[in-house]
Amino acid sequence: MDIRILHFYPDLMSLYGSYANVSVLKRALEALGNTVTVETVTPGGSAEVAGADYLYMGAGTERAQKAALADFVRYGEAVKALAEAGCPMLLAGTAMELLGKTITAADGTVYHGIGLGDFTSQQGTKRFVEDVYGHTELCPEPVVGFMNKCAVISGVETPLLTAVELGYGNEGAKTPEGFRYRNVLASQLTGPLLVKNPRLLDKVVEAVYAYRNQPLTGPVPHDAWTEQGYAITAEQLKLRV
Amino acid sequence: MRMFFAILVCKLGRFVGKLVGKGSSMPGKAALKICPDILRRVQLPPHIIAVTGSNGKTSTVEMIAAILRADGKHVVYNEEGSNQIEGVTTLVLTNATFGGKVKADVLLLESDERYARFSFRFFHPTQFVITNLYRDQLTRNGHPEWVYDAILPALHPDTELILNADDPLSSCFAEGRKTVKWFGLDRCALSTDAPTGVYHDGAYCPRCHAPMVYDYVHYNHIGAYRCTACGHAKPTTDYTATALDLEQGVLTLDGTVEIRLAFRSIYNVYNILAAYAACRECGVAAETVRSVINNYMLKNGRMQTFTLGRHHGTLLTSKHENSIAYDTNLRYVAASKADCTVLVIVDAVSRKYFTSETSWLWDIDFGLLAAPHVKKVLLSGRYCNDLAERFSFTEVSGWTVVPEISEAAEQLASEGGEDLYVITCFSDRDKLLNLPAVKKEA
Repeated sequence: MDIRILHFYPDLMSLYGSYANVSVLKRALEALGNTVTVETVTPGGSAEVAGADYLYMGAGTERAQKAALADFVRYGEAVKALAEAGCPMLLAGTAMELLGKTITAADGTVYHGIGLGDFTSQQGTKRFVEDVYGHTELCPEPVVGFMNKCAVISGVETPLLTAVELGYGNEGAKTPEGFRYRNVLASQLTGPLLVKNPRLLDKVVEAVYAYRNQPLTGPVPHDAWTEQGYAITAEQLKLRV
Repeated sequence: MRMFFAILVCKLGRFVGKLVGKGSSMPGKAALKICPDILRRVQLPPHIIAVTGSNGKTSTVEMIAAILRADGKHVVYNEEGSNQIEGVTTLVLTNATFGGKVKADVLLLESDERYARFSFRFFHPTQFVITNLYRDQLTRNGHPEWVYDAILPALHPDTELILNADDPLSSCFAEGRKTVKWFGLDRCALSTDAPTGVYHDGAYCPRCHAPMVYDYVHYNHIGAYRCTACGHAKPTTDYTATALDLEQGVLTLDGTVEIRLAFRSIYNVYNILAAYAACRECGVAAETVRSVINNYMLKNGRMQTFTLGRHHGTLLTSKHENSIAYDTNLRYVAASKADCTVLVIVDAVSRKYFTSETSWLWDIDFGLLAAPHVKKVLLSGRYCNDLAERFSFTEVSGWTVVPEISEAAEQLASEGGEDLYVITCFSDRDKLLNLPAVKKEA
């Protein structure tokens, strides 16, 4: 099938190799015989959100995040409609906060998110930095990643990681992390979490197929490198739990 | 009296510490306990030069020291790299009289980006050189704007800033300040029209987030930027590299000062420029700078040559978690002409802390190795799989994975005689250099 991915603000929200989440999904979908188009959305540009099969936004600095938000609110209603319809999305790093009700910056300024989730983000002057080892209901394998954020997120009732054994979650050390609603995934784990977690990539591919009402007949192909890389990181992090 | 006692404790602590091979921060820490504002009480030299930034601090400081000493100045500096307040205190007090007078013409400090504001709480530099602000150790630093915000409170209004005109982010430090001197590189043979690299930190203005355009770029997002909305742009430079021929290894400063480069890297050029600007601001003549920096070999061991089997090897130390440092070294390899093999090692991400974080590999432009003269690439170390996955998204061919560093070395020792480049970090370099088959050159 022809699959249309929208990548929001790739130059603005580009920290920690965020783009690789798109690269690895595109490659997996292509290996399954699909034709994949990635359209980039730039601030002030015009994008046709309706009809997209997958939306993605990566991590940005707190200032870049506000610039992204100023543009993203234009698409708020369309994004929410797609989410309700089951369109898969991933919002990584600070992009996650855009889905909530409000973001309060360290200086106290309050910004309104698109309100897909019922949560609020309070940014501060301290960063929460640590490797993360946690669990999601999406798959039995643990999720590995790295946290580097300055926000405490309150009010998430459906987290992506329901248990965090190492590192920071939404509200502090070892609290649930991220946000999940239908096929929308959001996580503050930085960088290419779909590269680091092959099973999460599987779930995203399955969600794309489900959204298009197409059967996924075989397993999602992975490099041996990804599997081995995941195994080593998971082993290293488990030692620290 | 407290000052005298603090100085005594510090000097004694340093003396004992040296005997037992301990680091340089403990004596300063003890002195700060006795007299917390000791750095305000001592009599500091007339010139206090601080150097901070993501890349190039150590090399820049080393060159500044060499130039100032050649000019006859007595320079005290933190050669051991202890750049937090405790280390700075040790340095200052061990070089002070018991009356609190620091016996030097210049106090020169390499300063940690995040801790500068603590080091400079009780005194401030006369000159503050900021080399650049890039994505560096993001596991620790968050991101470059976060580091920018951490440095800002360390900049005293009376301090003269010496800034990189070609870096759109660190140049913002000039805002609202009276005394700023700029260094930068004019358009030259290696300049391109558009930014390079896998991410583009110069796409948007760091001040207003409107799109930026470039007249020319020297590497990544470093060059002549211009914001399309607020006017933030590369300023006119006070100290300028007016010509650069990296192939011939010749750099011209301010149209007249010609310098031969011992290491033909754009990095070296910027470090020299920063050192030149700082020394000129301290009244050193251009000719003195030239005589020291011409063919200057850095002593900090960031580049090491060696032999392994029939290979002549060059170790290009790149900081892990620093994509621009990697890109610079990859560009150096890509620009070399002779057939070569490249060994990339990622075994311990950091020597200071544990992390399994490898996101930074995706910020590195490994595709630069897709060049006909790069015959083979070996990927080694604990994170070789992460490296392999990253390489699988490049056009580079002929890469193989050899998890054990010793096995990679054996393989290289037993076959081939082409040039060898090793790209790795301080945390991993000795795992190769200390192998018996590796013979280091002086």
